[in-house]
Amino acid sequence: MTVEARWVGREIARRDALEKASGKTKFASDMVPDNLLWVATLRSKHPHARILKIDVSKAAKMPGVVGVFTHRDVPNNRYGVFFKDRPVLCDDRVRYIGDPVALVAAESREEAEEAVDEILVEYEPLPVVSDPLKALDPASFKIHENGNVCRATRITFGDVEKALQDCKAVVENTYRTMPQIHAYLETEAGVSYIDDKGRITVVAGGQSPYRDHHEIVSTLNLPADKVRVVIPNVGGAFGGKDDISVQIHLALVTWKTGRPARLVWSREESTISGTKRHSSIVKMKTGASADGKLTANYVEIVYDTGAYAALGPAVLDVAIETCNGPYKIPNIDVRAWLAYTNNMVASAFRGFGAPQVHFAMEQQVDQLAEELGFDPLEFRLLNCVRKGDYGVFRNKLVGSVGISKCLETLKNHRLWRERASLKDVRTYPWVKRGVGVAAAMKGYTLGALPDKGSVGLELRLDGGFTVKGSFTEIGQGVVQAVSQLAAELLKTSIDKIEVVFADTAETPDTSVTSASRQLFLAGNALRDAVNKMLERIGRGVEMVCGRPVAEVHLSEGYVQTSSGIRIPLTEVAETLERAGLGRSVVGVFDVPRVEPIPGSLEIPHLFYMFGAALAVVEVNVLTGVVSVNELVAVADVGRAINPQTLTGQLEGAAAQGIGYALLEDVKISEGRLLTTNLSTYLIPSIKDVPEIEAIAVEDHEDSGPFGAKGIGEIGIIPVAPAIANAIYDAVRKRPFTAPMTPERVYWLVKKQD
Amino acid sequence: MRSLADVDVLSPASVDEALEILHQKAGGIKIVAGGTDLIVQMKHRIIGKTDLLNIYMLDELRYIRLENGSVRVGGLTDFATIHKSPVVRTAAPVLAEAASTIGSVQILNKASIAGNIVNASPAADSLPALYVLEADLHLRSKASSRTVPIRDFYKGYKKLDMRPDELLVEVSFKQVGDGYLGKFFKHGLRQGDAIAVVNGAVLLKWDASSKAVSEARIALGAVAPTVVRAEKAEAILVGSRLEETAIVNASRAVQESISPIDDVRGSAAYRREMSTNYVYMTLRMLAEMVRK
Amino acid sequence: MGVILREFSFKLNGQPVSVKAPPAYTLLETLRYVIRLTGTKDGCSSGDCGACTVLLDGRAVHSCLTLISHVQGREVVTVEGVDPKIVKAYASEGAVQCGYCIPGLVVATAALLREHPKPSTEEVREMLKGNLCRCTGYVKIVKAVEAAAGV
Repeated sequence: MTVEARWVGREIARRDALEKASGKTKFASDMVPDNLLWVATLRSKHPHARILKIDVSKAAKMPGVVGVFTHRDVPNNRYGVFFKDRPVLCDDRVRYIGDPVALVAAESREEAEEAVDEILVEYEPLPVVSDPLKALDPASFKIHENGNVCRATRITFGDVEKALQDCKAVVENTYRTMPQIHAYLETEAGVSYIDDKGRITVVAGGQSPYRDHHEIVSTLNLPADKVRVVIPNVGGAFGGKDDISVQIHLALVTWKTGRPARLVWSREESTISGTKRHSSIVKMKTGASADGKLTANYVEIVYDTGAYAALGPAVLDVAIETCNGPYKIPNIDVRAWLAYTNNMVASAFRGFGAPQVHFAMEQQVDQLAEELGFDPLEFRLLNCVRKGDYGVFRNKLVGSVGISKCLETLKNHRLWRERASLKDVRTYPWVKRGVGVAAAMKGYTLGALPDKGSVGLELRLDGGFTVKGSFTEIGQGVVQAVSQLAAELLKTSIDKIEVVFADTAETPDTSVTSASRQLFLAGNALRDAVNKMLERIGRGVEMVCGRPVAEVHLSEGYVQTSSGIRIPLTEVAETLERAGLGRSVVGVFDVPRVEPIPGSLEIPHLFYMFGAALAVVEVNVLTGVVSVNELVAVADVGRAINPQTLTGQLEGAAAQGIGYALLEDVKISEGRLLTTNLSTYLIPSIKDVPEIEAIAVEDHEDSGPFGAKGIGEIGIIPVAPAIANAIYDAVRKRPFTAPMTPERVYWLVKKQD
Repeated sequence: MRSLADVDVLSPASVDEALEILHQKAGGIKIVAGGTDLIVQMKHRIIGKTDLLNIYMLDELRYIRLENGSVRVGGLTDFATIHKSPVVRTAAPVLAEAASTIGSVQILNKASIAGNIVNASPAADSLPALYVLEADLHLRSKASSRTVPIRDFYKGYKKLDMRPDELLVEVSFKQVGDGYLGKFFKHGLRQGDAIAVVNGAVLLKWDASSKAVSEARIALGAVAPTVVRAEKAEAILVGSRLEETAIVNASRAVQESISPIDDVRGSAAYRREMSTNYVYMTLRMLAEMVRK
Repeated sequence: MGVILREFSFKLNGQPVSVKAPPAYTLLETLRYVIRLTGTKDGCSSGDCGACTVLLDGRAVHSCLTLISHVQGREVVTVEGVDPKIVKAYASEGAVQCGYCIPGLVVATAALLREHPKPSTEEVREMLKGNLCRCTGYVKIVKAVEAAAGV
């Protein structure tokens, strides 16, 4: 049921847009505190080596150098969310080329850079393990004490072997995807200083101030109240700032020197030492019956997490959870491995493990449809899950399930209906056209993992409200969405709503900004806070009136009782203040979840996002160049809080999907990244992206704020397989490796001749 | 990425003054014009730190003139100006076309033609056009002045026929006359700004009376240590009527002129295929223009 | 390292300025670290992303590939000096997400509109191809340019 709303659902320009566009917003990289120390990092030049000796004596005597720091300065030199396997500064070994070994803090940028060159490190090179399949071989050289299998699991339901025997059609293929680099325009950046309360304060691009805070205090062994983490507006994140980058290093420098410090990674440092999307090898054997029902899926997944686990174990879970697509399949057998290698560290990236397996599964589905003589969209509609169904893990789908609405939208779209004539348009004989579709699903929330968040709400003396939460503004527009929700719930004009975000000293813990669920979490916690606020205001009204009141309503800066009394909120605020009752409340939301199924960390989710994409491509068979002429991105959003920011998220995700599908080729040679900058690692320019048509379908989520659900990630997931299916439609040859770069597509087409 | 805070920059007020500095510091100073290649190379340690001779303000080297059938382009002329120049568009459309592909608007506004030539990247986008135009390069030093045909200027990968005290002051080429058809091509890995995997230019003279090609020039970049002319292919085209067989044979024959390598942008094998295929597509398009 | 300092004079957003900086500092470094004007962003320092775009004598250039020595006696306009109607168009059309690339796009748009007051979509794409945005997919950026141009 959709509630009539005044602020929810309205297209309002973001409150931060004008300041950002005019250059006034201070990002972490724009901050240059007075009297600061410039910090430079010495990184490993070896993909794998034992450290025999680190000699900083010469560097420490260089002009302007205030401190040189190594592992010896870090009390607890290991961190990590799932496994504490990552050193703050390397001690016994380096495990990839970007691994940090030492930090220099100096009076100027130049002096810091010069001194880094004077640190002497003696290495003993070790065998480099760059291929994840080789890494999993027990005989391969061990990168970590317990070997190279970071995680391995198997989840099976039904009897796949038997079901495959009974299938009318079975397709079996191996798919590969390369890593993807987030390539946010602002690299990892931050400053640190001692604040007026004596706290070591780190202001840095990130996604989770409380998690960063935890990693700082646990590695540096500092009292929790002596550290503060602030996350200002972040110049892009997409999951890539979910992990620690500059935070502990900055805290270390300020802790040791008492001075403000600044550390901003260069573009090359960002591409080498920032996290990546996992590269994947996915083998699938999928079967369907003659009547077009998917009956079995056998899957082997290998993800390369690089030198350290980071969020890889959870990424693998999402891969397992989503590799069967949004379909009912009674028999599944999924085996998955997360491999340590000497490649760059992989962790969270929009889609979080889902894009890789969708690249495989959505091509499997197209092949089965073709073999059985079904239209690809009809085939998907025949198999897709609906609300109340049981998913592949025998989990009841209690939340909103809008996949059939997404697929119907594409089925009725002009480009799908007219695809035959669309393909007929001729330019040059070497240009072929194709049309492809793909569906997508992914859980939002942290699934079966505990996830609880709080949001503070204050009635200000001026009668407005301040919302406080540790959610981070990474470009997605959560601050705007929260303001609109708050204005709606508090029945006040949006300009009376202030939002304070992402400061461990000022805002309660709203948990991490990831998994597409910050709005869902913060919105529900806010709703709880508003209820508590109404109670508090009720007590204030009672004090003003001098008698009990049953119920209060808010309206444009006033509070009204059922008996018709109307009091300005300013008066209520003053009364509460004088009485010492407090004007602030904290709302809490404990995200509903079920127990994880055996063999998993967080499967299943209770809440899923769904989407679909349609791509029209042109393939030049003489060059292998694929251009996307049209792209339709559909997502089930529950309810749009702000259609402008919503379509912006879908368009941006789709563009990243185009990059992932066609352009963004990470080249690694024996652990060395060759594509270290934006001239070799090519992200889409304005000429590579068509005018994306983003369509939001609203399948109301009863548990969501005003029916809204997560949308941040879904838009990227169906794009690469839709493009792959379109390429197949154009050239009748199936691309099994992404990105489908000109060279790969060229050889693919050429091979068939 | 290193700071250049200790690098000195000398900014002469005239070409003569610049030549005097080059004379005195020959070898110990690098010339910076638009800076679009050099600054990154020095900051990324691709080239060593030396002091810089900044010639960016020498407006006397910014001009495009048509004189006696020759186009003379001052060395500092930027590619945006070249791309938009009515003189270049009429007298050498293939160069105007190449100029627009060199980079983003920001690069075109700053990068100079002399810089592109002297930086000597085998993938430089202006070079194939200048090769088919058979451009002459005018070099000056304090004591001398000389002219080198562009083909003789490159002696190997980034090896130039240029002394450290010389400055490339002008590029000139004969105006392309009636009956000439030219086309530039570039294979980048992105539709936006990207460095070429293969680029090239084709310039044909079509004799309307005999309905045949009377002259052919094909140059390819990024497929050898220097830009190359595909002479075998050119020979096949001369006398042909641009029929399919001639086009196929000529485009295959470019293989004899190239020696590509593997790099981060593409394999040698792929570059070989692209050389043939781009020449093929370009010739097909030119054949269509001729038939119209 | 012997840091060299020289004085440079130029016009910045219409005002004459004099600044002491190393002569091989880029304009970007000078703006951000010496003058402390941080609207001009540093995305790659290599001329690949366009975030640092400024106008030099009215034309869009990368401030990361422009030496402060190049700027002597010339006129520089940064995002802080661009026609506010362009800034407003980016904000109202929803073209701003993380916003880090936007100041560079705003400046590039100023140059674009100077050359093509009523640009076609093709002209917008050609003129902005050097300004990378990782958030928006460019759809609303095209709309913002069109709104600023009144087309």
